[in-house]
Order: sequence, then structure tokens, then C-alpha cells
Amino acid sequence: MGGKPKVSSKIIPLASPKGPEKLCELCQRVARLQCTECRATFYCDEEHQQADWVGIHRRICQLLVPIRTQTFLSLQRAGQIVTQQKKAELIEICRSVAQQKLSEGKHQEALPAAQFCLRCSIDVHGPNTVQLVPAYLLLAEANIGLGNVSRVAELLSQAEWSVLKSPDCGHAVHHRLHRSLGRLHMATGNLEQALLHFANDIYFASEAFGLDSTITCRGYFLMADAFAKQGKTPIVRSLYSEVTQIWHCHLTNLLENRIQNAQNPNVLLDSSYDNQSDKAQQVEVDDMLRTMLEFEQKDPRKDPAQVARVAHCLAMMWFLAGDSRKAQGFGSTALQAGQLIPNPDLTEPIQSLLQLVQSLQTEAHPSSDESQNSASA
Amino acid sequence: MEQQRKFLQTESLPDNSAHLSRKEIGLFRNSPKQNICVQLLQDGDHRSFSELFHLLACDRRRREADPAVGLQTPPLEEQLDKLETMKLHLSRAERAERTGLWSSAYEQLLLLGRFFSSPEDVWLSLYFYRRCSDGERGFRPAVEAQVCLAEFHLEEGEVEQARQQAELSLQQVEDGWLDSDGRSLKLRTLRVLWRIYSRLADAPLAAGDHREALKLLHEGYRIATQTEDKQIEGEAAFKLGLTYQSAGEHDAAKQLFSSCMQIYGSLQDSDGLTKVYKAMARSLQSEGNINETVRCLEKLVDISRSDGLQHNLAESFLRLGDVYYSRCEYQRAAENFLQACEVYCNVGDEAQRQKAQGKVGMARAHCLIRKHIVHLQTAATTSEHQNLNCESADRT
Repeated sequence: MGGKPKVSSKIIPLASPKGPEKLCELCQRVARLQCTECRATFYCDEEHQQADWVGIHRRICQLLVPIRTQTFLSLQRAGQIVTQQKKAELIEICRSVAQQKLSEGKHQEALPAAQFCLRCSIDVHGPNTVQLVPAYLLLAEANIGLGNVSRVAELLSQAEWSVLKSPDCGHAVHHRLHRSLGRLHMATGNLEQALLHFANDIYFASEAFGLDSTITCRGYFLMADAFAKQGKTPIVRSLYSEVTQIWHCHLTNLLENRIQNAQNPNVLLDSSYDNQSDKAQQVEVDDMLRTMLEFEQKDPRKDPAQVARVAHCLAMMWFLAGDSRKAQGFGSTALQAGQLIPNPDLTEPIQSLLQLVQSLQTEAHPSSDESQNSASA
Repeated sequence: MEQQRKFLQTESLPDNSAHLSRKEIGLFRNSPKQNICVQLLQDGDHRSFSELFHLLACDRRRREADPAVGLQTPPLEEQLDKLETMKLHLSRAERAERTGLWSSAYEQLLLLGRFFSSPEDVWLSLYFYRRCSDGERGFRPAVEAQVCLAEFHLEEGEVEQARQQAELSLQQVEDGWLDSDGRSLKLRTLRVLWRIYSRLADAPLAAGDHREALKLLHEGYRIATQTEDKQIEGEAAFKLGLTYQSAGEHDAAKQLFSSCMQIYGSLQDSDGLTKVYKAMARSLQSEGNINETVRCLEKLVDISRSDGLQHNLAESFLRLGDVYYSRCEYQRAAENFLQACEVYCNVGDEAQRQKAQGKVGMARAHCLIRKHIVHLQTAATTSEHQNLNCESADRT
């Protein structure tokens, strides 16, 4: 969704001040149009202007003005420091915009933001430095979503080179790089290499965040995907049960915190499930859990315990996100599966969750409840 | 685009090409820990990876907590041979588990427990034994791990825990099972259990609680008879006998001692025989049966002489001498003490020889006093007779 900029005007070359040729923001070809809001951004045609407006320019239009126009003050040392700071802020804005669009699945729209983020980072930190790696990875992710495999390979090799030059960049950076490389190789169908990279990803993520972290967990899931394509079902099953275990633990803790906080009204509710990034994570996790559920349900050797656990995870997640209907749905699936095996440790939490969901629903719709009561009486 | 795709696919060239594969470069550049972890994950053995990672973290924590440990040995993550071994066996165990072959999975864990035999790796060995025995019950490797744990606890003095493990193992062990060294697992369990009962009885004995000690040692004796090990049976009988002796029940003690004698006799164990005879003699002496005591001690002398165990021989002579001394048969006592002296002289044990010499002196002194008294008495009577004769001579 982006408004059409009402403000583009053709560049009249003779009217602009003397200087290097203006290049299109997105494709770096000769520019013929100019954004009249900021007068500092140029485009080759309307299409690119529209794409940029929707992608990032709407957010940063006015912020670009002080950076791109040179004044006497800006050329001095103090002015330059200020400019650098502004650029750093811009990088952050671009990064978060790109991230958000990616998590919503809008890869094409994310491109301008990611590209600008990279360009700005190169400006601020210099080429081939390790601070560029997040920007490279972001752009690579956008391109993976679009299937531009060669561009992704290029970007990731740049990123890899930066990381190799500064080996002390930390485990988290390594983990993200390997994850992106793994996904690249999955896209090209090179499963062995993908597995190698995912293995490295999990190793570094474990070093950085721990064995039970949900970040490491995602690595296991991606790896399971590769094994699934190789047809090694027992390994896939084993990995999925590990992922389920970790998420089950994590979600149970969140649920307990929520319940405790609800009982203690003095504590401010953390609105962690309300920001955009968490909504994005929610989508990702929901996707992951659903894939695992389908896998279990299609498996001839059905393991009801596993089905129950995955469904329970989904129920908990949707309950925490506030969607009672889905929570109820998954909760009853979980209960059905759980009743096939006599394990109270598994079924009790599910039942208590269902009760909680139902109590919330009756709270939300007391009138319908009363009418039902009067109808039955 | 096509070129790019081809370029990307060259990453998977076989190893005999001129290029180094990414994997080979990794082997060279990365730490051994990373290589092993990555290898495990690539093969799909992610639980082995988690376990190994966890163990390395534990090792790091231990070294931080106790700097003395840290200085002695290099960190676990740098010891490639141990990492390789763990990787091999853990991945095998995981694969076995995935296919449901529990027994071979436990077998691998047991192998790992046995592998870490050096003192600084005891914690690793224990970890794997516990892992092995914690799972489902009834598998041979798991029971062997339990027995190993019991042995370890016993050596550390944690007798109650050892007892728990050993009793559990005894319930689960089956007759035909052999341990990793090829010996019968059941007999090994029984041996450990006997040692545990023996140790458990030490505390009540020291406190003087004979009833408790007897109860435990009876149980121990019962177990010892099942071990098919005569040495242990003899030991068990002897200890039980000693306990009866200190409780004052000499009949029971003597019975046990005689069965002990039989066992040790068949084993040709002269040390064992010596101590049994000594104990028997003590019993007999407390009962007041001196003749039997003497006979017993004389047998002891024979044994010691035939075995050439000089100290034993000398001690037996001393004991005999003491018995005669207490019966006031000073002559015999002195003879025995003298023989003890000679033996000590031969051995060269000056201190003991002097003691024995002292005893000889005392016995001889008593002897002489006797003689002297007798002499005095006879002298008195002869002088009386003489006086009487004189008187009668005077009268006539």
C-alpha cells in the first residue's frame, strides 16, 4: 500500500546546478525525474519512483534533504559528524522497514529499503567491513524471496568475505551468515552444501544463544527441511520433536508469566505480543508449527504424543496472541490426540489451557451466555 | 544466470579435484570442536551434538569453578581423540535409538563410560554410566553400568547409594549375562553386594551394636556363598565368626571358624589358615578349654613351620607359651618362649627377640622359685629328718 506521489517533475538538465550526472535511485541509470518533495532524489522513470516511494522514500524523504544537500555548515567537521549520525539513524530506519516488509512477505517492496540500507552502510562504515554484513544479509533475504539466486550468491559472498576478514565478529554474525547461505543452497537444490551451512548455523547459534534458544530452534527446522528433501524421515521426525520440545517449553513459560501477570494487576502487561516484529515472528512460528503438524498427521507411524504437543504449542501461541477461536481449535486437536495415550503430564496442561480459553470467551460474551442459560432453563 | 548456477554447483565438486572443498577448508581453519559439532549435525545426529555441546559447557564450568583442575589438563574441547570417540559412540547410539535398537544404544553408552578411565575424566565416566542406567530397565549394558556405579560409590565411601544400585542390579540381572570383560555379571554383582554389606557392618561393630552387625553380615554371608568364589566365602565366614566371638557366642563362632578352615585348607591359603586358627584358639581359650586351645596352637605351629613363615611361627610359640604360663606350667612356657626367641633371632628381629627373652626370663624365674620352694621344703623336711635322726641318735 503506498500513495502515488503527486510530486514528480521532469529534470531540466540545463536548469540544475553544474555537477555530476544525476542517477536513478534504484537502478543507477540516467535519471529523468526528480522528487519535488525533497529535490534530492532522482529516478529514471515513473515505475521506479513509485516503487521507491512505496518501499522507503515515503518514510525518509525529508530526512534525506540535509544529507544530500551540501551547505557550508555541512562541509565542516562538525557538520560532517552530524551527517554521519543522521546516516546511522537512516540505516536503522531502513533496516527496520525492510525487516518488517520481509516478515510480511513483501519481498519486492522490501528491496528499495534494503538497498538503501546497504548503500548507506557502505557510506558510513566503508566497503567490506563487518558492519555491512547485516545489510548484505537483509538484501540477500529479499532476493531469495524473489528467487534472484545469482544476486543472492553475489551478496552472500561479499558478506562472507567481510566476515572472513574480521573473524572476531562474534558468533551471532556467523550464524546469520550461514543460515542465509544454507537457504541459498536450498533454493538452488544443493542439499549437501545447504546441510553444511545449516550445521554451522546451528553451531554458532548454540554458542551465541544457547542450545534451547528459539533462534537455534529455527536452524533445526530449516535443517529438517533439507533432510526431508533427501528423504531421511527418521531424522526429520527426530528434529521436529526437538523443535517442538523447545517451543513447548518456551510457550509454557510465556503462558505462565501471562497468567501470573493477569493475577497481579499492578504489574504492567508487557505488550510483547503487540509489536510488529513479534507479529512477524508469530507468522513464522505458526507456519513452522503447522508444517510439523501436517507432517505428523500424514506420517503412517502416527505418534499421538507428538501431535498433541505440536497442537498444544499452536493453541498456546494463539491464546497468547489473543485469538481464542484458533486456540480452542488447536486445543481440542491436542486433547483428542493426547487422550489416546495415558499421560497426564501431557493432557493436564492442555485441559487447563482450554478451560482458560473458555473462561475468556464467556467473559467476552456474557450476554450470549446468559441468553443460553435462560434458553436452557 | 546459468553461469552463476554452474558456479554455485561447483561447490560440490568431488574431493579428487584440484579445488579444496569447503569442508576441507573448514577442517583446516576451524577449531576441532566446531568440526566435530558440524559433522554430527550434518549427519543428522543432532541429539549427539546437543549432548556433546552440553558436556563441553560442563567441562568449561568445572574448570572455571576450580582453577586447580584447569591447570592440570587441557580443556576437553581441545582433546581431539576424546571428542572423536564421543562423536563416534554417541552418533551410533543415536542412530540405534532412532531405529528402536535400545540394547545397542546402551551398549555404546557403556563403552563410553569404560573409555574414560583416567582420574581427571571420572566425571565423564560417571555421566555416561548414569545415562546408560537411567533409561528403560532390563537391558544388559544398563545393568552393567549400574554395577559399575555401585562399585564407584563403594570406593568413594557412599555405601547407601552403592547398596541401592547393587540391589537394583541384582533384581534385574540374568544368569547368562557376561560383562564387558567376559565375566559373569551376576557373580560380579554378588561380589559387590558382599563388599557393601561388609562395609555397612563396620559402623555397628565399632559402636558395639552386635545385633545389627550380625544381621548385615549374615546377609553378606548368604550372598557370599552364591558368588562361587571360595576366597570371598572364606572371608565372609571369618568376619561373621569374629563378630560372634566379640558378641560372646563362641559355639557359633567355632562352627564358622571350622568351615573357614576347610575352605582355606582347600585353597591352600596359609595366611587365611593362620588367622583362623588364631581366632579359634582365642575362642577356645575364652571358653576355658585349654587342651583344645593347646592342640589348636600346636597345629598352628605346624602350619607356620611348614610354610616357613617365621613371624607367624614365632607368634604361635609365644601364644603357646602364654597359655602354659597362665596354667602355671612354667617349664613348658619357658621352652616355647625360648623357641620363639630363636626364631626371632634367625629372622633378625631384635625388638621382638628381646621381648621374648624377657618372657623366657620370667618363666624361668617362676620355675626356679618353684624349684627353690620345693628345694626349701625338701631341705626343711630333710633337715627335720636330720634333726629327728640326731635326736634319736642322741637318745640312744
